[in-house]
Amino acid sequence: MRTMKTDILILGSGGAGLLAALAAHTQNPSLDVTVAVKGLFGKSGCTRMVQGGYNVALAESDSVENHFLDTLMGGAWINDQELAWTLVSRAPGCVERLETVCGCFFDRNEDGTIHQKAFAGQSFDRTVHKGDLTGIEITNRVSEQLARRGVDVLEETRAVALLPARREPERVAGALLLDIQSGEFIAVNAKCTLLATGGGPTLYKISACAQELATDGMAIAWEAGASFCDMEMVQFHPTGILTGDGLQITGTLLEEGLRGAGGHLKNAAGERYMERYDPERMERATRDVVSRAGYTEIIEGRGTERGGVFIDVSHLGKSFVRKNFKGMVERCADLGYDLIGGPVEVTPTAHYMMGGVKIDTACRTNLMGLYAAGEDAGGTHGANRLGGNGVANATVFGEIAGEAMAEEAADAPLLPYDAEALAVAEEKTLDALGEGESPYPIREELKEAMWNKVGLIRNGAEVQSGVRLLHDLKRRAADVRVAGGRAYNLAWQHALDVRNQVSVAELIAYSALERDESRGSHYRDDCPHTGDEDLYNVYIKKEGDAAVIERKPVAFSRLHPKAEPAAQAEPEPNFID
Amino acid sequence: MNEEAQITEGTPETGTQEESVPKKEEQEEKAEKRPAVRVRIRRGGAAGDPEERFDAFQVETGPRMTVLDALVAVQSAQEPTLSFRYSCRVGMCGTCALKVNGRPAWACRTRLEGLGDEITLEPLTNFPVLSDLAVDMSPFFEKMKRARGWLEPTGAAEKAPALIAPNSRERKRIEPHIECITCGICYASCSIVGHDSDYLGPAALNRAYTLVNDSRDALGPERLLEVCTEDGAWRCHSQYNCTESCPKGISPTGAIKGLKRRAVSGGVRRFAASIFRGRAPGA
Repeated sequence: MRTMKTDILILGSGGAGLLAALAAHTQNPSLDVTVAVKGLFGKSGCTRMVQGGYNVALAESDSVENHFLDTLMGGAWINDQELAWTLVSRAPGCVERLETVCGCFFDRNEDGTIHQKAFAGQSFDRTVHKGDLTGIEITNRVSEQLARRGVDVLEETRAVALLPARREPERVAGALLLDIQSGEFIAVNAKCTLLATGGGPTLYKISACAQELATDGMAIAWEAGASFCDMEMVQFHPTGILTGDGLQITGTLLEEGLRGAGGHLKNAAGERYMERYDPERMERATRDVVSRAGYTEIIEGRGTERGGVFIDVSHLGKSFVRKNFKGMVERCADLGYDLIGGPVEVTPTAHYMMGGVKIDTACRTNLMGLYAAGEDAGGTHGANRLGGNGVANATVFGEIAGEAMAEEAADAPLLPYDAEALAVAEEKTLDALGEGESPYPIREELKEAMWNKVGLIRNGAEVQSGVRLLHDLKRRAADVRVAGGRAYNLAWQHALDVRNQVSVAELIAYSALERDESRGSHYRDDCPHTGDEDLYNVYIKKEGDAAVIERKPVAFSRLHPKAEPAAQAEPEPNFID
Repeated sequence: MNEEAQITEGTPETGTQEESVPKKEEQEEKAEKRPAVRVRIRRGGAAGDPEERFDAFQVETGPRMTVLDALVAVQSAQEPTLSFRYSCRVGMCGTCALKVNGRPAWACRTRLEGLGDEITLEPLTNFPVLSDLAVDMSPFFEKMKRARGWLEPTGAAEKAPALIAPNSRERKRIEPHIECITCGICYASCSIVGHDSDYLGPAALNRAYTLVNDSRDALGPERLLEVCTEDGAWRCHSQYNCTESCPKGISPTGAIKGLKRRAVSGGVRRFAASIFRGRAPGA
């Protein structure tokens, strides 16, 4: 086993990890910053896959207050308001630094200022973008700046456990990493550790995320005793490409801007079904509403033979679509679909986890020395994330975490980690090599169970039966074994993945049972009402071997739903009667 | 194009399979009619590794299935120890590039239809092989660093996002070259890289071209001089292999020609200026 010491250990190199490394290095170049990433540097994770763009109040006629209100209304008022405010108020500076420090070159207006386009669920066209492939521009440019600054990078290296400090279980003193290429362990002793592995609901049958994501960050944080919030809130995006069962590209996105620009959603009969669900906002309703509408069409038999619906942008005009959605047109064309000329088959797809590790506005968790940013952290988006707030969230909180860690690491001593905890983690990782059940059937069953039992439309009894399935899967996952050696053994990695996925799936299911109402992305047909009194967040934490779950009232620290005239207007109509 | 030349430069076929790379099928077959294909995969580490060989697998196909789908099917159902790399599945991350029937391509966006009944998959040429189809991309990114492939902003550019109109010459020059996802396909297809391991290669020079056109960049002529060297832009023989193989439709050859033009016109200007100042050329 290799050992190493560093001041700041960053797990992940998506938007959060990259910006954290850049901010930490900028603030204090004398600190050792180490980035460990499961895939290749700057290429792994979901910021790379951002299409539409980055919400930010830049225009004079817009304001951070408007962005804030949209974020809270989108989040059905259970957002952590301090986090949401931090997001919207820091986003303008952050997007500016992406241009001025990192060299991003976002699309421009005729006068040369940064262009902003329309996204769903927002009162203003505030989405900054680079064509329809914004994430590539952001991750490429920030990665370059880190190469320029010589930040240490461990590629194809995943974290398998957080290491508690010796005699101080409430403090994290580094992580046990696994070099995927060689199969060797690296024990990293760090003053500060950042979870920026990007969540990723790949534990659903159809998902949009990068496929190496396996809720690793959340799973190791759970084991270490981190506190989580609102894990029941999983966002489904309404327009994932549907090509066929088992095909890798199924579930990847056709971007939200297509609906923002006026695209129509149709069922197999050609009806614009959003008329039935949200006649006012139609296709531009928030993602939770549009996804459930599509799902309802499909399960009630009005979908396509393959189990999808259609998105149709052909009425927007050939040159408009070709110019503004070049990436989407090419992607469809590769599959033999003509996005410009007619409808393309789509399905709701698991996209984003609003829940995650509970953080404060400096990205600190309940464990000292452990920070979280991006999709691994929860609270900013409440019950539903607005399109365009995801990359904003990753970059804004990545920067904040980098700054906060640089500050802490400047003075803090490097505390030794608990060697026994390390030995246990090592053994647990190695025990997946050998003879036993393959990880693949378990993974498939997990994805089916989550899709059917804890998916877009939930029901207490169904979630209960899902929990029983998960218990069984967890037992099997613990005994999973794969053949082959340690070096570059994908099956071994998948075995470790499925253990993490089952563990986080349980948190989603438990939290979904706890929330006996419907709100945002969480819809239960056995309790369809959205309560407008006593709003709460669901917290879950490990104590011993038990999951302790509790509700805490939402702190309306900046804006009360009843004090805000815009919010007093009809609450979102109950989705299904 | 010089496609064949660089293929033989790469990993030699010393495998146990005798078959040669099959010809691309003439007719566009319907996928429904071809239930299974034979997928030959190059296994093992670097060339000369005792484990180096070709293994063949039967893979059931369906409509719209891609090379990536075939790899996932093989790995999860037949050969769990197969090594390959992918992430996004949709041509954004640039990590799944390999050689399909001798040509570099993304696994994720290459459909099986039209590839024939036997498909040969190999790691990218010009990269050290780590294991099976996974290659070490660090030499490629080292070249990016050598070309200083990052913006070094001017004082003004550091203060606020620059005002650059979408139809300005600057934006129009940069736009067709900026969406590179650094997948390495151009680098693998370049015969010059195969001959000269010091050559910066198409992607790094393409990035340099966007930067020398970027008014926000402070390096300007210095950057141009650094990349227009014997191992830089001047090494390119304009064979267009990179341009032909780029899945993003980018023309690194065009970018390299642009760098050369700039270097020449800069040189001419300096030469003229030196004459006006009454000094000998090159002084």
